Amino acid sequence: MNLFFLKTFTQITIKIIKLFKLGNGYTFPGYFILKFFPNILSSKTFNYKKGIILISGTNGKTTTSKLVTDILKGNGFKVAHNASGSNLLRGIVTCLFLDLNFFGKPSSDIAVLEVDEFALPQVLDNLTPKVLVLLNLSRDQLDRYGETDTILSRWINSLQNLSTKTTLVLDATQPVLSILKDIFKGTTESFNSFAPHGIHVKEAFNIKNVNASLKVCSLYKLNLENCKNIINNFQYAYGRGEQIVYKDIPFTIYLAKNPASFTNNLETLIDTPTFNSLLFILNDNIPDGRDVSWIYDVDTDLLKTFYNKVGVSSENIFISGTRCYDLASRLSYAGFEISKDNVNKDLKKTLNLIESKKLKNSSFAVLPNYSAMLAFRKLTLGRSIL
Amino acid sequence: MKLNITYIYPENLNLYGDTGNVEILKYRAQKRDISVNITTIGIKDLINKNTFKNTDIIFMGGGPDSGQKDIYKDLIKNKASYLKDYIENGGCGLFICGSYQLLGNYYRTADGSSLEGAHIFDLYTEQPDDNAPRCIGNTVAKLSSTILEDPYFKNNNYIGDLIVGFENHGGRTYLAEDSVPFAEIIKGFGNNAQDGYEGIHHKNAIGTYFHGPILSKNPHIADYLISKSLGIEKLQKLDDYLITSAHNTALRLRS
Repeated sequence: MNLFFLKTFTQITIKIIKLFKLGNGYTFPGYFILKFFPNILSSKTFNYKKGIILISGTNGKTTTSKLVTDILKGNGFKVAHNASGSNLLRGIVTCLFLDLNFFGKPSSDIAVLEVDEFALPQVLDNLTPKVLVLLNLSRDQLDRYGETDTILSRWINSLQNLSTKTTLVLDATQPVLSILKDIFKGTTESFNSFAPHGIHVKEAFNIKNVNASLKVCSLYKLNLENCKNIINNFQYAYGRGEQIVYKDIPFTIYLAKNPASFTNNLETLIDTPTFNSLLFILNDNIPDGRDVSWIYDVDTDLLKTFYNKVGVSSENIFISGTRCYDLASRLSYAGFEISKDNVNKDLKKTLNLIESKKLKNSSFAVLPNYSAMLAFRKLTLGRSIL
Repeated sequence: MKLNITYIYPENLNLYGDTGNVEILKYRAQKRDISVNITTIGIKDLINKNTFKNTDIIFMGGGPDSGQKDIYKDLIKNKASYLKDYIENGGCGLFICGSYQLLGNYYRTADGSSLEGAHIFDLYTEQPDDNAPRCIGNTVAKLSSTILEDPYFKNNNYIGDLIVGFENHGGRTYLAEDSVPFAEIIKGFGNNAQDGYEGIHHKNAIGTYFHGPILSKNPHIADYLISKSLGIEKLQKLDDYLITSAHNTALRLRS
């Protein structure tokens, strides 16, 4: 069967969804295709010449998959990549269908796909990757994913049945992941947290993402110097250290969607305090998880250190999002002085307030969770994702 | 004035930011110029009849299944009897989710086997069969009259009769006939998704499924524990604007 017609369907649907602003568009076509062809990904159609690389874990998926994609592209490969961040099975289906050529075959040499950690077993049931990168596992959205143990046992089940054609790449420094090495029957390669030679990595937590990418490069026997050059010129994925100037005010976005990423960002900002104003945004929409108790898993002493080190006055701290008061309470319990007037659920009103205050030479660090990051981009750039 | 908090198994039982409860008690006490001393007790720490002598509030959090397994033997064998004495003698305590279940009479798993509890709270918990959904979501409940009528609560309550939180549990808990619930569920599942009860209020100890952490948006419960445990009739009122707003936001959330 030539699946090209489904590609056309996918393209048109995405255009319509974007036109009517019904969503990012990358989820629905895949959802629809799976409804009629539930096992479509297992078909021979998706045999990539250079294989499929899957990247999963709680944090760093988007950055690492963009790193790997940029490196491969820089080495002359044609790459299919779910850059929109749609990382459930349906998003992956959408991405792979968009890559089909007129003959119903993949037009790229290789697919680099970030995969949601909960959806990973389902994806592995359908696709056999050449490389599977597992970055880390930590607390995220307990209401949706369950405990970290639940995810780990799902991964263990999958890896027991995974083809030995796959090479597993994982973080050797995470005790929670070390068990996977023994369970998987094929080859396992590890990466660590040592700063790589000849590469300048701005944020400490990105070292592991870079090392994971370098490990993948070595599996493809790419020229290391060339890869390092590409990494040194790397542009971060949207919302990850991304800079946006809005109404002459510079904002840098640091996606803070769970305790680990919130902590990583605080540590980065403590090391390089290049801002004098803060905007926190906390939502409890479906993609975020309905529960916000995780903000209390961010270490109080770290918050105190952050607050004392950056020395931002209460007049320059703004809090927004559907659960702004939860976050404002949490920060005040950690010793932050919060001005009531700077706490507002409505992000648009908060941005108007920031603009009206005419803070002198202000530069903002923005710490939003996932849907909050999209909302912030939408208001400041006019688009939420790509 | 000094508030002594004993936090049992912080390494193993701390899910949903439950540790935040201890930090909130500390913060709210210190704002009233009450100094705070936090003692932690882990699996390896031996305790005796004097361990809780100076304790004003005992706290235990919820935990993942693995964390509960790790502490189970030690709790039942080495700590339960001292904990029971403390609570029977009127000591204040707050026990969340997994530890609330463990302090009951027993926990029956889906395959029918029974796990002995600490027999401190007169209740039992059953794990329903695998098809039964977990009880997950935002919660609102009305406090039971045993708390509402307590002068220590009344004198320090500026926020109302309701509590808010977030629950996520598979087990269904059933109180014995003489046991008093902590609250009655308005939104959410509570103890077992059937009888409308939430938690237990036994002597001066509270067992509950509410996370959030529970004290983060229920300052009246935090202040109740502080005032009751120290015998202070009226605590100095704090500026709780942000916290009250978070409480009110939670009242309106979908369950």
